[in-house]
Amino acid sequence: MIYHVNHRSVLSYAAPVFDARINLRLKPVAWPGQSMRDYRLEIDPMPASMRDEVGPYVVNTLALNLAEALSALTVVSSFTMQVDAPVVPQHTPSITDLRQQALAVQRIDALAPAPYLYASRLAAFEPDIAHWAATSLTSDQQVLDGALDLARRIYREFAYVPGATSSSTSPADAFRAREGVCQDFAQVMIVALRSFGIPAAYVSGYLRTIPPPGRERLVGADAMHAWVAVWCGDAAGWVGIDPTNDCLTGESHITVAMGRDYADVAPVDGVFVGQSVQRMKVQVDVAPLD
Amino acid sequence: MANQAEDLFGPGPGADPLAYYQAGEPGGDAYLAAQPQVADAWRSFVAGLVAQGNGDLARVRGFLDRHVDELGLAYRLTGDEQERAWPLSPIPILIGAAEWSGIEAGLVQRAELLEAVLRDIYGDQHLFADGHLPPAMASGSPHFARRMIGVKPPGGHYLRQYAVDLARGPDGSWRVLADRTRLSIGVGYALENRLALSRSTGSLLGSIGARRQSDFFDALREGIAADCVRSDPRIALFTPGRFNQSYPEQALLARHLGFSLVEGRDLMVRNSRLFVRTIAGVKRIDALWRWINTRDIDPLHFDSRSRIGVPDLLQVCVSGQMLLCNWPGAGAVESRAMSAFMPRLCDRLLGEPLLLPNAATWWCGGQDERNYVAANLDRLIISSAFRQPNALMPDGSSRAGAELSAAERAVLLQELDRRPMDFAAQEVVRLSTTPCLDDGGIAPRGFTIRAFLTRGADGQWVVLPGGFGRMSSDGDLRTSLIGEGDISCDVCVLDSPGSEQAMLAPVLVPPQVRRAQGVLPSQAADNLFWLGRYVERSHQVARVVRTMLDAGDALQTETGMGSAASRLARLLERWGAVPRAASAWRPADIAGAALGSADQPGSVITQDRRIRGLARLLRDRLSRDSWRALNRPLPRYVQGDSDSITAAADQQLEQSAAFVRLTADTMSRSAAWRFFDLGMCIERASLMTQACATIVPGQASAVDLAALLDLADAQAVYRARYLTMPFIAPVLDMVLLDPQQPRSLVFQLGGIRDHLETLPSLREDGLADLPLRLARQLYVRAESLDAETLTPRTLDDLLQALSDLSNAISKRFFLEEAATPERDGAQLLS
Repeated sequence: MIYHVNHRSVLSYAAPVFDARINLRLKPVAWPGQSMRDYRLEIDPMPASMRDEVGPYVVNTLALNLAEALSALTVVSSFTMQVDAPVVPQHTPSITDLRQQALAVQRIDALAPAPYLYASRLAAFEPDIAHWAATSLTSDQQVLDGALDLARRIYREFAYVPGATSSSTSPADAFRAREGVCQDFAQVMIVALRSFGIPAAYVSGYLRTIPPPGRERLVGADAMHAWVAVWCGDAAGWVGIDPTNDCLTGESHITVAMGRDYADVAPVDGVFVGQSVQRMKVQVDVAPLD
Repeated sequence: MANQAEDLFGPGPGADPLAYYQAGEPGGDAYLAAQPQVADAWRSFVAGLVAQGNGDLARVRGFLDRHVDELGLAYRLTGDEQERAWPLSPIPILIGAAEWSGIEAGLVQRAELLEAVLRDIYGDQHLFADGHLPPAMASGSPHFARRMIGVKPPGGHYLRQYAVDLARGPDGSWRVLADRTRLSIGVGYALENRLALSRSTGSLLGSIGARRQSDFFDALREGIAADCVRSDPRIALFTPGRFNQSYPEQALLARHLGFSLVEGRDLMVRNSRLFVRTIAGVKRIDALWRWINTRDIDPLHFDSRSRIGVPDLLQVCVSGQMLLCNWPGAGAVESRAMSAFMPRLCDRLLGEPLLLPNAATWWCGGQDERNYVAANLDRLIISSAFRQPNALMPDGSSRAGAELSAAERAVLLQELDRRPMDFAAQEVVRLSTTPCLDDGGIAPRGFTIRAFLTRGADGQWVVLPGGFGRMSSDGDLRTSLIGEGDISCDVCVLDSPGSEQAMLAPVLVPPQVRRAQGVLPSQAADNLFWLGRYVERSHQVARVVRTMLDAGDALQTETGMGSAASRLARLLERWGAVPRAASAWRPADIAGAALGSADQPGSVITQDRRIRGLARLLRDRLSRDSWRALNRPLPRYVQGDSDSITAAADQQLEQSAAFVRLTADTMSRSAAWRFFDLGMCIERASLMTQACATIVPGQASAVDLAALLDLADAQAVYRARYLTMPFIAPVLDMVLLDPQQPRSLVFQLGGIRDHLETLPSLREDGLADLPLRLARQLYVRAESLDAETLTPRTLDDLLQALSDLSNAISKRFFLEEAATPERDGAQLLS
């Protein structure tokens, strides 16, 4: 599939703020099965300085520095992306074997398993989640089957409730409430997998949304999406699973970045001087070009 | 009394108080197993202590406690509100020069090894690729910073400060218990212990040949300076702030080393350079000694939730324009599990065996190691591999395997199956004992030593001779620096008389003469200003309380309070020292509330809390005497009892006057002192004007006016000058307009103007900054007022102008509004 993606964010401040320094993590990384062209980024007003950074996980960061007083900032990220459906591995190692394989890999780059083995800031261990996940992740179960079973249980047992959680809600809280949005589901699943020594990563990206039958696709009604990448051994590598939609990631998923949790790939964060509240409006349009 | 050995009253001065000292295993006691010369020194030191206490060791303990107190030595345990006094035993641990040089060589080797490991994991990463170190050993550490891969530190040194916990085994061999590459917590306490001990024991330490520590601290300072880009560098100690457990230690180190003590909000990054905000504009910083975890140093590059860091600090590091030590990410090698790899890494990286073994360690991430640990739980100490919390160790610490219950054992085995990499195990290390003076006399206690290393100007490691000794009450010394019931002690390295070390005359290079300690950071100026304001406010409230009780006694009629007392009560209301409508209460109750009601913003106790809070932040600038004056408890009084409240107010007035005098007498007449005095002047001017507006609303009796004179401490001067009872105009002239009266408004305004004229200006056009212009206007205006025609309206105008002036000072000299890290800015979820 080929898509044109247009992602517009408007940050606004009730009173002007100063010395705003903002990280944008919007430009998709190079990813197997994806080829991107015509990437454009429009920023208004023009920052005093910009700096491109890569990493430290699988993420592109653009660091902006706005010296002047700022009351609104508009960022439009757009690109055309061809997505080929990934090959789904037929067989993956048992959880016991995978755990040993993960510890034996002699690399620590951003796609190696080691960086995704431990608890991270927003994905802290929670005994209740490990306990809940135990029935899906038995030792001799194949790791991909176990992970898919977890995704299915999240899909069935958790309510999708926009606004019930925020980007700083912990997986433990989302788990107790059994509700949330894609970020919460992804992070609960990550905590569950890591509790059993399975490397798991947080992926941010876009999802093509299919309009209800007989309706037009609404331009700009989409949003960013998040799912989980599970490390399934040396041979299979990282496999994407979307617990919000109970499926493997495929042609409809466009990967932007991968990190340990939301904080590593947050599309926008930063600091400014001032007491004003920041508001953010987002419009995302994922249009198939057929 | 000729017989000095013993008499009817126990051992006399000069006898050997260690003669009857016994420990479980003689080989396992540092004193009993010491070389004869060292043991002699131990005996003569303790005998010297006994002589100083006239035969009573408890008295020696008392001397020492007083010195500890005077040094402001204190600490907090997690959860403590108040600082605790530092527990210090007067008997140091003594180590002979020969034994120490062996330890020293082992420590330096270990420092070089850890440096080499850091260079590899943040550089070429051969250790991972060649299978000498599992990558999960790095990524498991919360102090590993992926971002720092490929970023080289200036001078090439990842480590500049390093601390090691050492234990002496029963066979006399030394072992490493733990590495500290993140923060050298304890180095300031080691310094303080030495200062306290040498002050309280006179020449005793010198007489036994204790090697001095000053070379180490010189090396620390010069080592940092040597790798700075500029030749006369500005170096600062980067603190998380006063709520940090080791803040007192940080303040002491900054003062001792001549570094500025800065918090994140004092600092800012511009064009890849780091600056500190000062009263003279921003000034460049060349090096930071950080006492903050890597993840908190920069909200843009590490944890975006950090409120104690500096946005873009990492950018400055990467540009090579500033030295940050230790380098971000250096903490990655201090995890417990790392010890398991040290023998092999030493062989691999240095091509030699470890000189100083560490306690045998197993990391359970390896299958064989995990199986060994699971099979030998009873003989091992089980730890969280990276000091992270887990089901059995909620505080990320260690448990003796033998002490686990059956249920806990089952949980551990299950965890070892699911996440073996979270656990490490160590052999049980038995600790030697050392003579310790506690309440019951001299008894053996198990000890560990924290040793400290720093790099000197030539980049070579320098070891602090001795270190920080810890003696435990329960034998468990694996946790934090100091715990409930632990006692600390000094550790001295002894040079035998005539040895090279002892002969070596101290090489003293006189420093360049200088008269100021750098430019005053805005934050410190702000704190000093408010310290001055609160001290003055507390003083004035106490004064009003006293005057009110006096006036109440003198004039109280059967129907209620006299007019003067009730006017003073209204003044206390106006200042927020007592609740609204409190003026209807009995004077003693009003007075009690003004002194001791913690929920009133203007009460003495509230001011006192603020003063202590600010003083903690200014610890590096206050003299020992001011610090001590400040830390005296508030005077006590009996609720509702006028006499005792009057006495308490009197005592409070004396105490705050003592603090002001000690502070003013000892602070150099630098900008720091000016801000302190500026705060006092503004507060005094404002309070005096408010007092006039409240007590003289159009008309006032002689008693009211006498009370006003009393607040200005001018009764006697008035009587001498006018030889009559108080009248409105002469009184107002004396307390407001007379420039010769040290408590008058005009006197304060003159002081304010003089201070502002001396403080640096930011303008390049030669015109005065706004605060100075306002101060000049206000002075001229007040000076030209006529007491005969003063109206309440004029007083209100003056108060408004004072408040504008105070705001202008804040805006010009103090920090901008705090940067607000925006953490929830992105609601991009579906």
